Amino acid sequence: MSGTRRIFLRQALTALPLLSAARAQSLGQRSVYFTVEDGDRLITGLGESQFRVFEDGQPVPFRLLEPEKPVLLTVLAEYSQASGLYLNDIVTAARALMDAAPEGNWYSLATFSQELQIVKDFTRMKGEILASFDEIGQPFWGEVNTYDAVFEILEKLEFLPGRKVIVLIGSGLNTLSRQTMADVQRKAEAAALNIFVMGAGTLLRGLYDSYLDAASRMNLLQAEAFLNMLAKKTGGQAFFPRFEVAYRDIARTIFTMLDSQYRLQYESRVKPDNRFHRLRVEARDPRDSQKQYTVRVREGWRWY
Amino acid sequence: MAGKMAFRVRNCWRSAVSVLLSVSLAAAPAAAQRPPAQLAPEVRRALDEALQKSYNDLFEEAPRLEFSRTQIEAMREILENRQTSCASEFRRRAEAHARDLRREQDSLRAATTRIDDAERKQRHCRIQNLRALESQARVLAEHAIPVAYENRKAKLELIEKWPEELKRIREDIAAGRHLQRKWGDVKDIGFRELVPDQEKDIKIGQETVREMKMAGLMPPEVDNPEVKRYVTQLAQRIGKHSDLRVPLNVTVLNSKEINAFALPGGFLFIQRGLLEAAENEAQLAGVIAHEIAHVTGRHGHRLMKRATVSSIIYQAAQVAALILTGGAATIGTYYALQYGFYGLGLVLSLDMLGVSREMELEADQLGVQYAWNAGFDPNGFIHFFDKMATREGYVNGLSWFRTHPPFYARMVQSKREILFLPPKDGLTVNSTEFDAMKRELKKVTEQAEQEEKDRPSLLAPVQGCPAPEKIEFKPGDPIEKLCPEPAESSSGRR
Repeated sequence: MSGTRRIFLRQALTALPLLSAARAQSLGQRSVYFTVEDGDRLITGLGESQFRVFEDGQPVPFRLLEPEKPVLLTVLAEYSQASGLYLNDIVTAARALMDAAPEGNWYSLATFSQELQIVKDFTRMKGEILASFDEIGQPFWGEVNTYDAVFEILEKLEFLPGRKVIVLIGSGLNTLSRQTMADVQRKAEAAALNIFVMGAGTLLRGLYDSYLDAASRMNLLQAEAFLNMLAKKTGGQAFFPRFEVAYRDIARTIFTMLDSQYRLQYESRVKPDNRFHRLRVEARDPRDSQKQYTVRVREGWRWY
Repeated sequence: MAGKMAFRVRNCWRSAVSVLLSVSLAAAPAAAQRPPAQLAPEVRRALDEALQKSYNDLFEEAPRLEFSRTQIEAMREILENRQTSCASEFRRRAEAHARDLRREQDSLRAATTRIDDAERKQRHCRIQNLRALESQARVLAEHAIPVAYENRKAKLELIEKWPEELKRIREDIAAGRHLQRKWGDVKDIGFRELVPDQEKDIKIGQETVREMKMAGLMPPEVDNPEVKRYVTQLAQRIGKHSDLRVPLNVTVLNSKEINAFALPGGFLFIQRGLLEAAENEAQLAGVIAHEIAHVTGRHGHRLMKRATVSSIIYQAAQVAALILTGGAATIGTYYALQYGFYGLGLVLSLDMLGVSREMELEADQLGVQYAWNAGFDPNGFIHFFDKMATREGYVNGLSWFRTHPPFYARMVQSKREILFLPPKDGLTVNSTEFDAMKRELKKVTEQAEQEEKDRPSLLAPVQGCPAPEKIEFKPGDPIEKLCPEPAESSSGRR
């Protein structure tokens, strides 16, 4: 090996860890939003000493911080000809959500059928969201490309700073997406946000369940599983109401949960290896150290 | 018997269909083969030049222009053809960009597992650029180009009809007929009763304001006491010289929309964009006077009655808000959702729009009178109107005009009213207070622009990409910048 080549190789080898360290440094700081629950009750006001955080089973030092304000909330609504039978659910859910939405946050609306459409970019005037929703008219396409839509909205939100939340209103059914469920799962695992789901069509499903064949039932189960997965992976929650009036309660619940969220920040020790790394947060009752609360937090991170 | 009858009906039906088909088939090639309208180049050039002028200039110059009816017709046809071909060209470009975009996205999907970050970024940038180009081409084809040509056609109408109209106006004035027009008793402004019981609208107005705030549709107020004070004083001065019988409640909203709206009962909302767009006090006074005229004319109340006739089970005040406010479409559609009336837009456009047009024209007439009576140059209203309308291609933020009758009708009606008004000396065009307000407003605008810059966006460009290509067309640019005038042969001159 010639001298020049040796120098070049040495320089390259020295540079590699530096590059990856720089990337780890930029990606290493993690901000996580989560709620602490005791049955149906949301627990607020806990201090740092009541928490323990584990990454891949190893405890990590962390800080509790004030949640960022305002919240950037995107309503992602299914809006297709195929959703015709439960379109009323979708509209009711959107209306309930915006009625319950507090002032001061940023709200945006995106719908999807064949492709994602940004109907209303972020606005502080929440009334504009519903107004825009009505302006889009009747759905034109018959496709419900849920996977593509979720993937794309996650990509769009990826670059925005601050506290981000998606409220997905839809059935979870998917027709001709280019992305697969696994693609979306990986994307959700890497996304620093919470996804809440307001399921649509559950009432209808209940009514016609006995008439469904095995394949249709499987499709519906898969749809529900997909929505559950999104919520679970990101520390949100999926709701599947069986009554139309329940949407109002769900909307209020979502905003109460957002109000009650804790924010923790820690330096991640794992490398950006494109693998999934588990996160666990434990919370204890300050009056009874034996009592552990349920923590609704994202399952972990995938680092690209 | 029944069978024979059915057979006859079928035969009749078939004959009718075949006649219709043959007529339409015969007509189609005729339309397609119709030779394009042609004008002598010097006439076309002269007309083109005239159409570039402002409405105000045309009011002055039209009586001196000498174009024949045939030439005007030919020009109208040329404008139609130009509009069609210009819009088609941009629709075609949008389709081409959409195809390229789809191809790029498919290629990215196929390669997504094999490419590195740098390559991915490059592809994202290309996709972003194609999206921007497609969207720009669509906006131009669907909005900017039609707006620009509609404007030209309205000016052509003015060239054609104004000289006759002006003659009639002068004859009316000479014969004293103008004094007999509706609301011609301008010397009695403040002492005449347009519609009784204005006070009854106050409660409805209060409720509407409360509902709008609750619905989250109201932009925040401008947080600058100087601006608020100036606008309130100006509005109060006009209110005092109008037929207003209720207290005026003025709010200045911090929104860049060029808009103002009045709710029943004297609730007046002025948006920041309007203050920015007004070049002088007379222009701003003209628009405020127009909005006050909606209150004095109780247009909200009249719309509510209409709503009841139309059997719309709907909050009456909200119907009024829908029709009489510039940003109305959004408010209305929100309520449509709120109360579950999905077909409301259609009901309103069919049932209400005629009423709305009458009311707008009435508000124009009364507004001009109020501005004049308060000591402002009433031409300010049409100068402002003209400025907005002449900004061809200006497709955003014009909501004040969105629900209003065509430009030509409003310009001519307002000009007629101004000519009918008794001459008055010392009418105000501008004031030092207006200029001081503008200086204060600049601070408000700068702050709002900074907030807008910091606004999160789902449409924000991918970081680190070169700026997306832009189709060069700004408000105020002539439409020929987008679609250069095609070289036309000089045969068949008219």
